[in-house]
Amino acid sequence: MDITRRQFVKATAVALASAAAAGTLSSLVGCASGATQGDAQTEGRKYTAVCRFCGCGCGVICEVKDNRLVSVTGDPDNESNKGLNCVKGYYLAKILYGEDRLTVPLIRDDASTKGTAEGLREATWDEALELVSAKLKETWKADKSRLAFWLSGQQPITEGYACAKFIKAGLLSNNVDPNARLCMASAVVSFMNVFQTDEPAGSYADLDEADVFVTWGANMAEAHPMLYSRLTARKLSGEGVRHYDLGTITTRTSASADKTLIFKPNTDLAIANCIANHLVQNKLYDEAFVNDHLQFKQGAENIGNATMDDYEQTEAGKTAENVSAITFEEYAERLSPYTFEYVSELSGVAVEDLRELAEVFADPDAKVMSLWTMGVNQHNRGTWMNHNIYNIHLLSGKIARPGCGPFSLTGQPTACGTAREVGTFCHRLPADLLVANEQHRRFTEAVWDLPEGHLDAIKAPGMHTVKIFREMSKGNIDFLWSAHNNWAQSMPNLTRFLGMGEENKGIFDTFIVVNEVYPTLSTQYADVVLPVALWVEREGQFGNAERRSAVFEKAVDPPGEAKWDLWTFMEVARRVLDGERIGDKDAFDHLFGFIYDKDAADFKGDDRETNRALWEEYRIFSNPSLNERAQAINESAKLKMEAKQLAPYDEYLARHGLTWPVREVDGTWMPTKWRFSDGAQEDGFDEVGVATYGTPGLAGGVSFYKSTDMKPTVVFRPYEPPAEEPDEEYPFYLVTGRLLEHWHTGTMTRRVPELDRALPEALLNVSPEDCERIGVADGDMVRVRSRFGQFDIKVSTAGRTEPPVGIVFAPFFAEEALVNLAVQDTYCPLSKEPDYKKTCVSIEKI
Amino acid sequence: MKLSNVIAGASAAIVAIQAAAYALRGEPDLLRPPGAHGEKDFLARCIKCGKCIEACPYRSPAPAPQGAGIAVGTPCIDAREQACRLCEGFPCVRVCPTGALRAVEGHRDVRMGVAAIDEELCIAFQGMRCEVCYRACPLIDEAIVIDYRMREGDAIHSVFAPSIVQDACVGCGLCVERCVVGEPHTAIRIVCDAERARTAGS
Repeated sequence: MDITRRQFVKATAVALASAAAAGTLSSLVGCASGATQGDAQTEGRKYTAVCRFCGCGCGVICEVKDNRLVSVTGDPDNESNKGLNCVKGYYLAKILYGEDRLTVPLIRDDASTKGTAEGLREATWDEALELVSAKLKETWKADKSRLAFWLSGQQPITEGYACAKFIKAGLLSNNVDPNARLCMASAVVSFMNVFQTDEPAGSYADLDEADVFVTWGANMAEAHPMLYSRLTARKLSGEGVRHYDLGTITTRTSASADKTLIFKPNTDLAIANCIANHLVQNKLYDEAFVNDHLQFKQGAENIGNATMDDYEQTEAGKTAENVSAITFEEYAERLSPYTFEYVSELSGVAVEDLRELAEVFADPDAKVMSLWTMGVNQHNRGTWMNHNIYNIHLLSGKIARPGCGPFSLTGQPTACGTAREVGTFCHRLPADLLVANEQHRRFTEAVWDLPEGHLDAIKAPGMHTVKIFREMSKGNIDFLWSAHNNWAQSMPNLTRFLGMGEENKGIFDTFIVVNEVYPTLSTQYADVVLPVALWVEREGQFGNAERRSAVFEKAVDPPGEAKWDLWTFMEVARRVLDGERIGDKDAFDHLFGFIYDKDAADFKGDDRETNRALWEEYRIFSNPSLNERAQAINESAKLKMEAKQLAPYDEYLARHGLTWPVREVDGTWMPTKWRFSDGAQEDGFDEVGVATYGTPGLAGGVSFYKSTDMKPTVVFRPYEPPAEEPDEEYPFYLVTGRLLEHWHTGTMTRRVPELDRALPEALLNVSPEDCERIGVADGDMVRVRSRFGQFDIKVSTAGRTEPPVGIVFAPFFAEEALVNLAVQDTYCPLSKEPDYKKTCVSIEKI
Repeated sequence: MKLSNVIAGASAAIVAIQAAAYALRGEPDLLRPPGAHGEKDFLARCIKCGKCIEACPYRSPAPAPQGAGIAVGTPCIDAREQACRLCEGFPCVRVCPTGALRAVEGHRDVRMGVAAIDEELCIAFQGMRCEVCYRACPLIDEAIVIDYRMREGDAIHSVFAPSIVQDACVGCGLCVERCVVGEPHTAIRIVCDAERARTAGS
């Protein structure tokens, strides 16, 4: 059979090659032409870009003819994907050309029509911008605690940067948060708690060298298609490479894992502690690594759940972030209850499976990579669970070395590049800086040329995402502006936030501005809809999960009157800041005069020049030597801002993306694959960083130079149960998530006919045993109810996702099966990220 | 690595069937509702009463159009439009008055045909992470499996090639309905096999 298979593969390759040579492939498959290109004479102009969808950050090449995108193919020169794509990327060109593109500004005159497809009328840009500006200015002047911006991990880097500058330095407000709060906040808070710097030490290159992969609550096969292709390649080509899939449901990722460990919700916390306990009690940890690199802490426990609005005012809420130092021995003592037997009973995972997994981490020679996303982050103890994964990698020294590392995957194309690095969070400034830290404010003032103390007005963090929407529902938000997201579908507890109950009708009184490319549920609640450029209709940049910043070039013009998002923000900023001063200078000109001519109501240069100018200013944050005042603060406050060093803008264009820190060595800008890891910079190690700030020669050849005392923190985090547990009334856990064919709320992918055909409806996966118990069959419509709300959906037992008894799964891409009407808005008390994976529901046939 | 479970069943025989199907380059035989025992037997029994068409909750079968010769008016399924959803209890079979559609025990016993993949058209074979047919398959990991292999000339990416398990595929056509490739035809099609159809339900 082996011989047959090899011949088969060979024959297939030949067939493909001949088809390609004849130019048939491109003509056969229409829009996209795969890795091969047709006749050179008929080729259009090509532009380099990055996929619009997930956090993989695949590079693509856009081909344009007559101002129309005719094909999108994988970019062989992008190190993240080397030319491959998933089916979504294959049909990328078509996201621009849905029939209902928004091309004219829209205004709603009657707020009572909110929540319907009616009520929006066409307007001129001038009328729309005047209205938005007047409302924002009115709110800002009256009570700026009642305004809010909701931005995104899909907003290009320079746009997010300009927005942050406008809101933080111009409006002196911290009421800005991104949708990344819904996906990455637990990862971020954990990175900051453990390492005092955000984002992973390793990179995608670890996938090519690991001996063992452990996926924690991550359906990589569907949510990170290209990375899973890379992981699978390692399994196929490496000797004895294994994959353990841990989760509460069986997914397509489990389908090819060597072993799937299904655990009861929240017991992932205990499983990680069980591994740590095994390492510590049996002295199987890396002693030299522990001695050289680690400090130990424990934190507040029994911290309750952030379900009620007043959680943060409760004693538990006020102290949830507290930590205190402990000794290694005390840490060992805290771990000691987490025996294989106890954890097996708690989690439902067999003792021998737990032991096998623990032995993986105990093997000093095994290169182990942990990968996780929403199962860990969207968790009522999401920050804790991130901690617990770091703990076992730190104890075993399996971090920051090729093939070894805890790797936090991201779900959006620039959750890292924009939301996290630019800092469009309510508590952040650019480049990991915090509003609450005086030196961080001083440094930011230096880069932005603000008078010293200007940013003291924003030293208190603003409202995080769930708080913004809770306050809006209570009538406490007068102005909300969202861009690059679809909150009316992606937020949890939509029954409350969309004002569908008797109370909480605030959404009807809030003046809501939505920048959009297509009609969505969010535009149904907008008072003004601003039609904007989509993806390569302007130039922008994304930063993916492996710290890779990459530019997507402008390839085509936006349709109709649609405009670049950044232009809409500039146009409103110049109106709102009219007459305002920063020091003795005109506020708008001082902040944005270098890119924008307010009298001409336009950018001074083209897309490229505007982006380059913004990037070069933003780059000062990580290259403080470019600014004398900033450099002085960087040195005196020991900020080590070069830890995230970015290269000049044009380097990214020429190099198809670079992973930071990017170091200039002998005139060449060199990326870093392994932060903190000593070795040659040209081989991807952090030679410059370790030499500048770190200590060479420590265990593992690693130096965590950004961490306090250069020591990452192992924080003991115990098992605590989910916010709610199944009972007679609500006997099932509802897990929500993403599937391969559609991305997020489906606003783009559902307008691609091929993708819509491939997965036309959202289904509720229920185990056959549960189906029998509640009397439903495959194809039946059911009503799913929770304490928060309800939605209707069709049941499937086809097996694509197989939940165990007591758990059901539904994707969130379909607005007609609006799962978030029922999903809880309980969030992790540390990260404020909601738990989308464990709402208790009932199911009845309708 | 233990990937054997997902390629078990993918054999030379399947390759041969796929090759044969596309060697013909014609439309495959009409796809009949579950329980038909081959075209000859079915045509001899079907009285074109339309009851199976009415019974289908998905409106999957439709009368064969003019130009179908002797088969005009008999129920056939255009899988691209609406595949058979293998309903529990087979309402179409239950209402057939003549035994043109004969009893089928469970959905795994249906033998409408066998899916065949055109590897020249299928984008998964080009290295795209697609496998829409596999994930849509009501017998996922049984009738369609993934053959994981290294991508030619690429040391760090693998191809996820869908592969039909002939013995398990029931020919419902959901893979055809969902296939992202449409021109000049879908990258996966259903090939009917009278001999095999006669074993349906037995």
